[in-house]
Amino acid sequence: MPLECRELEKTFLHAYVDGEFSADESAEMKAHLAGCAICAETVRVQQSYKVAAGRANVAAPHQLHDAVRGSLAAEPYRGRWARALREPRAVAVAAATVGAAAWFLAGGLQHPIFRGGHSIVDDGVALHARALPLDYTASDVSSAQRWLSEKLDFGVRLPRFSQGPRLEGVRLSQVRSRQAAVVTYTVPAANGRRVSLLIVDDPEPQLPGAARRIADRQVWLSRAHGFNIASWRNDEIVYSLISDLDEEDVLALVQSAELR
Amino acid sequence: MLDFKHTDRTRREFEGLSLEHLDALYSAGLRLTRNERDAEDLVQDTFLRAFRFFDKFERGTNMKAWLFKILTNTFINKYRRRVKERTVVEGAAREASNERFVTREPTESSSNPEEYFFEKLLSDDVIRSIDVLPIDFRLVVILADLQEFSYKEIAEILDCPVGTVMSRLYRGRKLLQRNLLGYAIENGVVQPGQAMELEAQAEDAEVLEFKRKA
Repeated sequence: MPLECRELEKTFLHAYVDGEFSADESAEMKAHLAGCAICAETVRVQQSYKVAAGRANVAAPHQLHDAVRGSLAAEPYRGRWARALREPRAVAVAAATVGAAAWFLAGGLQHPIFRGGHSIVDDGVALHARALPLDYTASDVSSAQRWLSEKLDFGVRLPRFSQGPRLEGVRLSQVRSRQAAVVTYTVPAANGRRVSLLIVDDPEPQLPGAARRIADRQVWLSRAHGFNIASWRNDEIVYSLISDLDEEDVLALVQSAELR
Repeated sequence: MLDFKHTDRTRREFEGLSLEHLDALYSAGLRLTRNERDAEDLVQDTFLRAFRFFDKFERGTNMKAWLFKILTNTFINKYRRRVKERTVVEGAAREASNERFVTREPTESSSNPEEYFFEKLLSDDVIRSIDVLPIDFRLVVILADLQEFSYKEIAEILDCPVGTVMSRLYRGRKLLQRNLLGYAIENGVVQPGQAMELEAQAEDAEVLEFKRKA
């Protein structure tokens, strides 16, 4: 076996099979292969391997196509703005240019954007934005509640909405290494927009945002990454309703819900 | 502050360029994470990150390669840390050359190119063989052999020199083909005698030469 063939095998033959050669180089290689059975054999083996490897590709499930489209449609900010809002320094620069009047109107340092992020709500927003596939599909509250009670270590009381959101299903998740559930609704009256209800067993006393009294219940309203969040507590369990609906609509939703 | 018309136009442009690569991204993501749910999460993350950074994408350049760069970076930063995969690249490569050696001659089967055993294997065997590769090799094999990126594109995606791509690809294929050969013997696609010759082909020519002299 000529020495050069051992040199060839390592990289050249693979590069040739991978189509990395120019037309001239390929012609030269073909001339060599015609006279060298060992290299020709290696090339055929590698070609055969490439055909087999290509068959390892699979198509994505249908619901992933839908979920990706859904989460892109729900992504509220574009490019620069999205990053600016996540980057404290950029926020400061932007705020400086907005001017004192706007600053005052926005509520100065009391504006929710500038408050310390509440980790659970941030995670909830991330879960909502990604529109992950459901673990259990249900359109009625009782069966969703039954299913959840079998899967979770803590008791859950799903709200009953008299009108508006339509229950789609449930996905189990984890937030800060705590067990959590995400209930998904769509709102037909708002172009089928998604609303997520994050349920997590959270012993931390502090809920994010501004407290409001709604229908005999303390509800905290906050905003993160372009989403409005309404949170309330039932026993030790925290429920957070997350959507890109207007604050008014979120309030109306909570008001219409039977929370017990 | 927000111009929603503009947002919608950008969104449509992004979708038009990116969604056609969803199957390819999922397919690669599945071989990286080896788990359907993680692959779905990884693809979702990739699309959202790509959309957020879409203003950084240079129009007219390779969208598929750009998306794959985001996919691999997201995987390496997030999922790989979680999986805590052992990186045994060097060890695995050394192990591969500790097998038996046979003098390398053209085999009988070379007279009929249709008869090459790799093509007769089930895609399940191929998938299992890819999934056990150490991650550095798995990455280049996925990009080169499943996605058919060029060496230069892979170098850009992984941020490494073309020479590194070539050597990892060569060694990764050697490991993978050895596993495939194992399945081929198991399934009776090749006979053990023929297998030894085929295995020899997958071995390093320099080691072979050394053994023959010894």
